[in-house]
Amino acid sequence: MRTLAAAGAALALVGCQSTADVGYVEIRTVPVSTNVSQPSLYLDTIKVEPIRKGSAVLTQRVGTTKLATDGAGGQLTLCEIVVKKNRITTVTVTVLERPPRCQCRNAGGSGRTCIS
Amino acid sequence: MIGRLVHLAAALLFAAVFAMPAAVALAQDSGQPDAYTPVEEFSKQLDAFKKSIPELNKKIEDSAASVDRWTDVNKARKEIEELRSIVGAALGAVADNGPVSTLGTQALNHARNKLRALEQDTRFKTEEREFLLEQWRKLREETEQATEELGAARREFAELLRTLQSNEDFIDELMQVRQAQKALEVIQRLTRDIRDASDQLKKLIGAIKPPGV
Repeated sequence: MRTLAAAGAALALVGCQSTADVGYVEIRTVPVSTNVSQPSLYLDTIKVEPIRKGSAVLTQRVGTTKLATDGAGGQLTLCEIVVKKNRITTVTVTVLERPPRCQCRNAGGSGRTCIS
Repeated sequence: MIGRLVHLAAALLFAAVFAMPAAVALAQDSGQPDAYTPVEEFSKQLDAFKKSIPELNKKIEDSAASVDRWTDVNKARKEIEELRSIVGAALGAVADNGPVSTLGTQALNHARNKLRALEQDTRFKTEEREFLLEQWRKLREETEQATEELGAARREFAELLRTLQSNEDFIDELMQVRQAQKALEVIQRLTRDIRDASDQLKKLIGAIKPPGV
Protein backbone atom coordinates (compact mmCIF):
# COMPACT_ATOMS: atom_id res chain seq x y z
CA MET A 1 0.00 0.00 0.00
CA ARG A 2 2.78 2.33 1.04
CA THR A 3 4.70 1.39 -2.09
CA LEU A 4 1.69 2.02 -4.30
CA ALA A 5 1.16 5.43 -2.74
CA ALA A 6 4.82 6.32 -3.25
CA ALA A 7 4.73 5.15 -6.85
CA GLY A 8 1.54 7.12 -7.44
CA ALA A 9 3.05 10.23 -5.94
CA ALA A 10 6.20 9.85 -8.01
CA LEU A 11 4.14 9.32 -11.17
CA ALA A 12 2.14 12.43 -10.39
CA LEU A 13 5.44 14.25 -10.00
CA VAL A 14 6.58 13.07 -13.42
CA GLY A 15 3.25 14.22 -14.85
CA CYS A 16 3.54 17.65 -13.25
CA GLN A 17 7.13 18.13 -14.35
CA SER A 18 6.33 17.40 -17.96
CA THR A 19 3.74 20.17 -18.09
CA ALA A 20 5.47 22.71 -15.85
CA ASP A 21 7.88 25.29 -17.24
CA VAL A 22 11.12 23.48 -16.70
CA GLY A 23 14.40 23.16 -18.50
CA TYR A 24 17.61 21.26 -17.80
CA VAL A 25 21.03 22.09 -16.50
CA GLU A 26 23.93 19.83 -17.30
CA ILE A 27 26.88 20.27 -14.96
CA ARG A 28 30.12 18.73 -16.11
CA THR A 29 33.14 18.60 -13.86
CA VAL A 30 36.73 18.49 -15.05
CA PRO A 31 38.76 16.54 -14.34
CA VAL A 32 36.28 13.67 -14.32
CA SER A 33 38.39 11.65 -11.88
CA THR A 34 36.64 11.01 -8.59
CA ASN A 35 39.99 11.14 -6.77
CA VAL A 36 39.79 14.91 -6.73
CA SER A 37 37.72 16.09 -3.80
CA GLN A 38 34.73 17.81 -5.31
CA PRO A 39 33.67 21.18 -3.97
CA SER A 40 30.07 21.53 -2.83
CA LEU A 41 27.93 22.99 -5.58
CA TYR A 42 24.59 24.75 -5.19
CA LEU A 43 21.96 25.66 -7.74
CA ASP A 44 20.50 28.74 -6.09
CA THR A 45 20.28 27.45 -2.54
CA ILE A 46 19.80 23.76 -3.28
CA LYS A 47 22.85 21.60 -2.81
CA VAL A 48 23.74 19.44 -5.79
CA GLU A 49 24.45 15.79 -5.00
CA PRO A 50 28.10 14.86 -5.62
CA ILE A 51 28.55 14.54 -9.36
CA ARG A 52 29.32 11.00 -10.46
CA LYS A 53 31.36 10.28 -13.57
CA GLY A 54 31.81 13.95 -14.28
CA SER A 55 28.28 14.78 -15.35
CA ALA A 56 24.84 15.44 -13.91
CA VAL A 57 21.62 16.51 -15.61
CA LEU A 58 19.19 18.35 -13.37
CA THR A 59 15.65 19.50 -13.94
CA GLN A 60 15.37 23.19 -13.12
CA ARG A 61 12.67 25.80 -13.24
CA VAL A 62 12.77 28.23 -16.16
CA GLY A 63 14.65 31.43 -15.35
CA THR A 64 18.10 32.47 -14.23
CA THR A 65 19.72 30.38 -11.57
CA LYS A 66 23.02 30.84 -9.73
CA LEU A 67 25.67 28.15 -9.53
CA ALA A 68 27.54 28.63 -6.28
CA THR A 69 30.07 26.96 -4.04
CA ASP A 70 31.07 27.30 -0.42
CA GLY A 71 33.16 30.41 0.13
CA ALA A 72 34.80 32.01 3.15
CA GLY A 73 31.88 34.26 3.96
CA GLY A 74 29.05 32.01 2.75
CA GLN A 75 28.11 30.96 -0.74
CA LEU A 76 30.25 32.22 -3.58
CA THR A 77 28.54 32.62 -6.96
CA LEU A 78 30.51 30.99 -9.76
CA CYS A 79 28.23 31.90 -12.64
CA GLU A 80 24.63 32.36 -13.66
CA ILE A 81 22.75 29.87 -15.78
CA VAL A 82 19.81 30.79 -17.96
CA VAL A 83 17.31 27.94 -18.09
CA LYS A 84 14.81 27.92 -20.94
CA LYS A 85 11.79 25.69 -21.35
CA ASN A 86 12.67 22.22 -22.65
CA ARG A 87 16.22 23.32 -23.39
CA ILE A 88 19.46 22.16 -21.86
CA THR A 89 22.16 24.53 -20.67
CA THR A 90 25.58 23.03 -20.20
CA VAL A 91 28.20 24.36 -17.83
CA THR A 92 31.61 22.86 -17.18
CA VAL A 93 33.13 23.41 -13.76
CA THR A 94 36.88 23.13 -13.37
CA VAL A 95 37.16 21.71 -9.89
CA LEU A 96 40.94 21.84 -9.60
CA GLU A 97 40.91 25.61 -9.36
CA ARG A 98 40.11 27.38 -6.11
CA PRO A 99 37.50 28.69 -6.31
CA PRO A 100 36.18 26.45 -9.09
CA ARG A 101 35.59 28.15 -12.41
CA CYS A 102 32.62 27.96 -14.78
CA GLN A 103 33.10 27.46 -18.48
CA CYS A 104 29.96 28.01 -20.51
CA ARG A 105 29.31 25.97 -23.61
CA ASN A 106 27.36 28.94 -24.85
CA ALA A 107 28.12 32.17 -23.01
CA GLY A 108 25.97 35.24 -22.73
CA GLY A 109 27.19 38.82 -23.01
CA SER A 110 28.95 39.07 -19.66
CA GLY A 111 30.83 35.78 -20.07
CA ARG A 112 29.74 34.59 -16.63
CA THR A 113 26.27 33.73 -17.80
CA CYS A 114 25.64 30.41 -19.45
CA ILE A 115 22.77 30.19 -21.87
CA SER A 116 21.27 27.28 -23.78
CA MET B 1 19.57 13.91 -39.89
CA ILE B 2 16.21 13.67 -38.15
CA GLY B 3 15.91 10.05 -39.20
CA ARG B 4 19.14 9.35 -37.34
CA LEU B 5 17.72 11.10 -34.33
CA VAL B 6 14.74 8.79 -34.35
CA HIS B 7 16.93 5.73 -34.49
CA LEU B 8 19.05 7.09 -31.70
CA ALA B 9 15.97 7.85 -29.64
CA ALA B 10 14.53 4.41 -30.25
CA ALA B 11 17.80 2.74 -29.30
CA LEU B 12 18.24 4.63 -26.10
CA LEU B 13 14.63 4.20 -25.07
CA PHE B 14 15.04 0.51 -25.64
CA ALA B 15 18.24 0.48 -23.59
CA ALA B 16 16.72 2.51 -20.79
CA VAL B 17 13.72 0.25 -20.51
CA PHE B 18 14.83 -3.25 -21.24
CA ALA B 19 18.30 -3.36 -19.79
CA MET B 20 17.07 -3.43 -16.24
CA PRO B 21 14.54 -6.20 -15.83
CA ALA B 22 16.72 -8.30 -13.55
CA ALA B 23 16.67 -5.92 -10.64
CA VAL B 24 12.95 -5.51 -11.10
CA ALA B 25 12.37 -9.25 -11.15
CA LEU B 26 14.49 -9.81 -8.08
CA ALA B 27 12.61 -7.15 -6.23
CA GLN B 28 9.27 -8.61 -7.21
CA ASP B 29 10.24 -12.14 -6.16
CA SER B 30 10.89 -11.02 -2.63
CA GLY B 31 8.78 -12.21 0.23
CA GLN B 32 10.00 -9.40 2.50
CA PRO B 33 8.20 -6.26 1.42
CA ASP B 34 9.70 -3.98 4.09
CA ALA B 35 13.28 -4.93 3.34
CA TYR B 36 12.79 -4.51 -0.38
CA THR B 37 10.74 -1.31 -0.33
CA PRO B 38 13.31 1.05 -1.92
CA VAL B 39 14.04 -1.51 -4.63
CA GLU B 40 10.34 -2.07 -5.22
CA GLU B 41 9.73 1.64 -5.56
CA PHE B 42 12.58 1.88 -8.02
CA SER B 43 11.16 -0.99 -10.05
CA LYS B 44 7.67 0.58 -10.04
CA GLN B 45 9.12 3.80 -11.37
CA LEU B 46 11.00 1.94 -14.06
CA ASP B 47 7.79 0.13 -15.00
CA ALA B 48 5.90 3.41 -15.23
CA PHE B 49 8.64 4.85 -17.42
CA LYS B 50 8.64 1.70 -19.55
CA LYS B 51 4.87 1.95 -20.10
CA SER B 52 5.22 5.51 -21.35
CA ILE B 53 7.82 4.49 -23.94
CA PRO B 54 5.75 3.13 -26.89
CA GLU B 55 3.67 6.30 -27.07
CA LEU B 56 6.74 8.47 -26.67
CA ASN B 57 8.59 6.60 -29.38
CA LYS B 58 5.65 6.95 -31.77
CA LYS B 59 5.42 10.67 -31.14
CA ILE B 60 9.12 11.10 -31.85
CA GLU B 61 8.83 9.08 -35.05
CA ASP B 62 5.74 11.01 -36.28
CA SER B 63 7.26 14.40 -35.55
CA ALA B 64 10.62 13.50 -37.04
CA ALA B 65 8.98 12.20 -40.22
CA SER B 66 7.17 15.46 -40.76
CA VAL B 67 10.32 17.47 -40.05
CA ASP B 68 12.11 15.41 -42.69
CA ARG B 69 9.65 16.71 -45.26
CA TRP B 70 9.93 20.31 -44.19
CA THR B 71 9.44 23.05 -46.69
CA ASP B 72 7.92 25.55 -44.34
CA VAL B 73 10.40 26.80 -41.74
CA ASN B 74 7.64 27.87 -39.39
CA LYS B 75 6.16 24.40 -39.44
CA ALA B 76 9.57 22.79 -39.05
CA ARG B 77 10.28 25.02 -36.09
CA LYS B 78 6.99 24.07 -34.47
CA GLU B 79 7.68 20.37 -35.01
CA ILE B 80 11.13 20.65 -33.48
CA GLU B 81 9.59 22.52 -30.55
CA GLU B 82 7.19 19.61 -30.05
CA LEU B 83 10.03 17.11 -30.29
CA ARG B 84 11.96 19.07 -27.69
CA SER B 85 8.97 18.92 -25.41
CA ILE B 86 8.74 15.12 -25.79
CA VAL B 87 12.46 14.53 -25.29
CA GLY B 88 12.49 17.06 -22.45
CA ALA B 89 9.78 15.13 -20.61
CA ALA B 90 11.74 11.90 -21.04
CA LEU B 91 14.92 13.60 -19.82
CA GLY B 92 13.02 14.95 -16.84
CA ALA B 93 12.01 11.42 -15.88
CA VAL B 94 15.62 10.19 -15.84
CA ALA B 95 17.33 13.42 -14.67
CA ASP B 96 19.67 13.12 -11.69
CA ASN B 97 17.15 14.94 -9.51
CA GLY B 98 14.21 13.12 -11.11
CA PRO B 99 12.09 10.48 -9.37
CA VAL B 100 13.55 7.40 -11.07
CA SER B 101 17.19 8.31 -10.42
CA THR B 102 16.49 9.33 -6.85
CA LEU B 103 14.79 6.01 -6.17
CA GLY B 104 17.64 4.19 -7.92
CA THR B 105 20.18 5.82 -5.59
CA GLN B 106 18.02 4.94 -2.59
CA ALA B 107 17.68 1.34 -3.75
CA LEU B 108 21.41 1.04 -4.25
CA ASN B 109 22.21 2.52 -0.85
CA HIS B 110 19.69 0.18 0.72
CA ALA B 111 21.26 -2.89 -0.90
CA ARG B 112 24.76 -1.78 0.15
CA ASN B 113 23.67 -1.09 3.74
CA LYS B 114 21.86 -4.40 3.89
CA LEU B 115 24.99 -6.23 2.77
CA ARG B 116 27.09 -4.47 5.39
CA ALA B 117 24.56 -5.28 8.09
CA LEU B 118 24.26 -8.93 7.09
CA GLU B 119 28.01 -9.37 7.16
CA GLN B 120 27.92 -8.47 10.87
CA ASP B 121 24.69 -10.33 11.60
CA THR B 122 25.06 -13.34 13.93
CA ARG B 123 21.40 -14.39 14.04
CA PHE B 124 21.67 -16.85 11.15
CA LYS B 125 23.53 -20.06 10.48
CA THR B 126 26.56 -19.68 8.22
CA GLU B 127 24.82 -21.20 5.17
CA GLU B 128 21.71 -19.07 5.72
CA ARG B 129 23.80 -15.95 6.03
CA GLU B 130 25.76 -16.87 2.89
CA PHE B 131 22.51 -17.44 1.02
CA LEU B 132 21.15 -14.03 2.06
CA LEU B 133 24.45 -12.34 1.29
CA GLU B 134 24.48 -13.93 -2.15
CA GLN B 135 20.94 -12.70 -2.83
CA TRP B 136 21.78 -9.16 -1.78
CA ARG B 137 25.04 -9.16 -3.75
CA LYS B 138 23.13 -10.18 -6.84
CA LEU B 139 20.52 -7.51 -6.15
CA ARG B 140 23.19 -4.85 -5.63
CA GLU B 141 24.90 -5.76 -8.90
CA GLU B 142 21.63 -5.70 -10.83
CA THR B 143 20.66 -2.37 -9.28
CA GLU B 144 24.09 -0.95 -10.09
CA GLN B 145 23.66 -2.09 -13.66
CA ALA B 146 20.18 -0.55 -13.80
CA THR B 147 21.45 2.81 -12.53
CA GLU B 148 24.33 2.64 -15.04
CA GLU B 149 21.82 2.13 -17.86
CA LEU B 150 19.76 4.98 -16.54
CA GLY B 151 22.88 7.16 -16.68
CA ALA B 152 23.46 6.11 -20.29
CA ALA B 153 19.84 6.97 -21.15
CA ARG B 154 20.27 10.35 -19.46
CA ARG B 155 23.38 11.14 -21.52
CA GLU B 156 21.62 10.11 -24.73
CA PHE B 157 18.49 12.17 -24.01
CA ALA B 158 20.64 15.18 -23.13
CA GLU B 159 22.56 14.81 -26.39
CA LEU B 160 19.31 14.42 -28.33
CA LEU B 161 17.91 17.58 -26.77
CA ARG B 162 21.11 19.46 -27.62
CA THR B 163 20.87 18.31 -31.25
CA LEU B 164 17.24 19.45 -31.46
CA GLN B 165 18.22 22.77 -29.93
CA SER B 166 20.95 23.39 -32.48
CA ASN B 167 18.53 22.41 -35.28
CA GLU B 168 15.98 24.86 -33.98
CA ASP B 169 18.61 27.56 -33.61
CA PHE B 170 19.68 26.89 -37.21
CA ILE B 171 16.07 27.27 -38.37
CA ASP B 172 15.82 30.51 -36.41
CA GLU B 173 18.94 31.73 -38.17
CA LEU B 174 17.44 30.68 -41.52
CA MET B 175 14.31 32.66 -40.72
CA GLN B 176 16.47 35.67 -39.89
CA VAL B 177 18.24 35.27 -43.24
CA ARG B 178 14.85 35.22 -44.97
CA GLN B 179 13.74 38.31 -43.10
CA ALA B 180 16.98 40.03 -44.03
CA GLN B 181 16.50 39.01 -47.67
CA LYS B 182 12.98 40.47 -47.63
CA ALA B 183 14.29 43.69 -46.09
CA LEU B 184 16.98 43.80 -48.77
CA GLU B 185 14.36 43.37 -51.51
CA VAL B 186 12.40 46.32 -50.10
CA ILE B 187 15.54 48.45 -50.02
CA GLN B 188 16.44 47.44 -53.59
CA ARG B 189 12.91 48.28 -54.80
CA LEU B 190 13.06 51.61 -53.01
CA THR B 191 16.47 52.34 -54.55
CA ARG B 192 15.10 51.53 -58.01
CA ASP B 193 12.12 53.82 -57.43
CA ILE B 194 14.37 56.64 -56.26
CA ARG B 195 16.64 56.13 -59.26
CA ASP B 196 13.62 56.23 -61.61
CA ALA B 197 12.36 59.37 -59.93
CA SER B 198 15.81 60.89 -60.18
CA ASP B 199 15.98 60.06 -63.92
CA GLN B 200 12.59 61.65 -64.43
CA LEU B 201 13.75 64.69 -62.55
CA LYS B 202 16.92 64.91 -64.61
CA LYS B 203 14.86 64.71 -67.80
CA LEU B 204 12.60 67.41 -66.51
CA ILE B 205 15.52 69.63 -65.58
CA GLY B 206 17.13 68.91 -68.97
CA ALA B 207 13.94 69.94 -70.72
CA ILE B 208 13.87 73.28 -69.01
CA LYS B 209 15.50 75.80 -71.23
CA PRO B 210 15.89 79.41 -70.31
CA PRO B 211 14.02 81.78 -72.63
CA GLY B 212 15.99 82.80 -75.69
CA VAL B 213 18.35 79.77 -75.70
